[in-house]
Amino acid sequence: MKYTTFNQESNDTMTEPMFFGNPVNVARYDQQKHPIFEKLIEKQISFFWRPEEVDVSKDRMDFQKLSDAERHIFISNLKYQTLLDSIQGRSPNIAFLPIISIPELETWVETWSFFETIHSRSYTHILRNLFSNPSEIFDDIVVNEEIKKRASDISKYYDDLIFATQLWQTQGEGEHVVDGVTHSINMRQLKKLLYLCMNSVNALEAIRFYVSFACTFAFAERELMEGNSKIIRLIARDENIHLTSTQHVLNLWAKGKDDPEMAEIAAECHEEAKAIFMKAVEQEKEWAKYLFNSGSMLGLNEEILCQYVEYIANHRMAAIGMGQPFDIKSNPLPWMNNYLSSDNVQVAPQETEISSYLVGQIDSEVASDDFEAFEL
Amino acid sequence: MISRRSNSKVSEKLVIYRVRVEGSDSFQCAKDDKTLLKHIEDHGIEVHYHCREGYCGACRTKLIQGEVEYITDPLAFIDDDEILPCCCKPTSDIHIKLY
Repeated sequence: MKYTTFNQESNDTMTEPMFFGNPVNVARYDQQKHPIFEKLIEKQISFFWRPEEVDVSKDRMDFQKLSDAERHIFISNLKYQTLLDSIQGRSPNIAFLPIISIPELETWVETWSFFETIHSRSYTHILRNLFSNPSEIFDDIVVNEEIKKRASDISKYYDDLIFATQLWQTQGEGEHVVDGVTHSINMRQLKKLLYLCMNSVNALEAIRFYVSFACTFAFAERELMEGNSKIIRLIARDENIHLTSTQHVLNLWAKGKDDPEMAEIAAECHEEAKAIFMKAVEQEKEWAKYLFNSGSMLGLNEEILCQYVEYIANHRMAAIGMGQPFDIKSNPLPWMNNYLSSDNVQVAPQETEISSYLVGQIDSEVASDDFEAFEL
Repeated sequence: MISRRSNSKVSEKLVIYRVRVEGSDSFQCAKDDKTLLKHIEDHGIEVHYHCREGYCGACRTKLIQGEVEYITDPLAFIDDDEILPCCCKPTSDIHIKLY
């Protein structure tokens, strides 16, 4: 079906599936099939931040004091995160927008991608401060074998879906020959590609960031690189909400609350989807190994990082009906929670440098009966 | 003029609920401002959390018995028999299972 930017046929978005129905025409939010996406948009927008708000100038001095092994850990993580957000800043738009059929989900995907571009800009902000010429770091991202391995695994699912969608939208269903290769395009296959792609994105948002988050916050625990940690906390807060959105999409499908055919596909591809997640877990563990190949850093080592990945994976996989495949029951890095709590991520001018300013000092929760003891 | 009122009024309407956490001891919690998550933590029970605002779903917990009310609308995905302790308070005795 040919894509149109404004579908002139009137259609009832309340009866459309999330994907592969009629293209959205009017961006209206007065009636919503899945109101959760509108709520996520509101929440995400309330989190708006700019990298420039965070002063990272003290990090430059801290960076000089780090050992070579620690610098390797710090810079490699930034490279990996730059890769992840480069992909996420464009791919949900390109892959999902042409096939979305309800306005609230369309706007959610645009909002989501926009925030990923803020993350990308923040990496430049951090690196510009550390190096007079950061281009060496960025250039290495497309050369570094460890990063390339992960890149191809993440982008593959997006690319397959995008290519099949393009063929379907230009040529329709059937057999099509492109550069001598025959591609069979049918709706069932397209939906299967979408399902696998959504699982790959979910795994990305769920665990792919967490090894580097742990390293960043381990530096912050030693009161090092605190400007960077402040930025990463803001990023982690956004990624949490992105993860919530992919979990909602997957669960809406699996529980038959959207397209019934997607419920069938979810059951049919359950093992394949689980394998995508398990591979992401493996790759994160390999990443931890790569980080520590030239030496450890205080407070963290490969083993404990791998345990943390398993611990997080258990929770994330259970949330989408994949069970808890790992034995670990207790959080090996309990201090991580302090950095991931949204009470601790406000940006105020007086605490832009030192992120520990707020930890344990201010309780921003105000309940209505806090004023009960006062009388006018 | 602002003056402090005595606290006696508050203590008069003190309501206590019993929270039974699968695999841990039960405890009693007063009906107050604190979220269920805070009560669980205050009793030294390890519980997974991230955002504490209902949007990440890290503290997702199974509600086996009882009822809760939400202080903030939970945005994270939870199943019909699950709750988010970070943004709810018990409104009866409850029995829960942490993941």
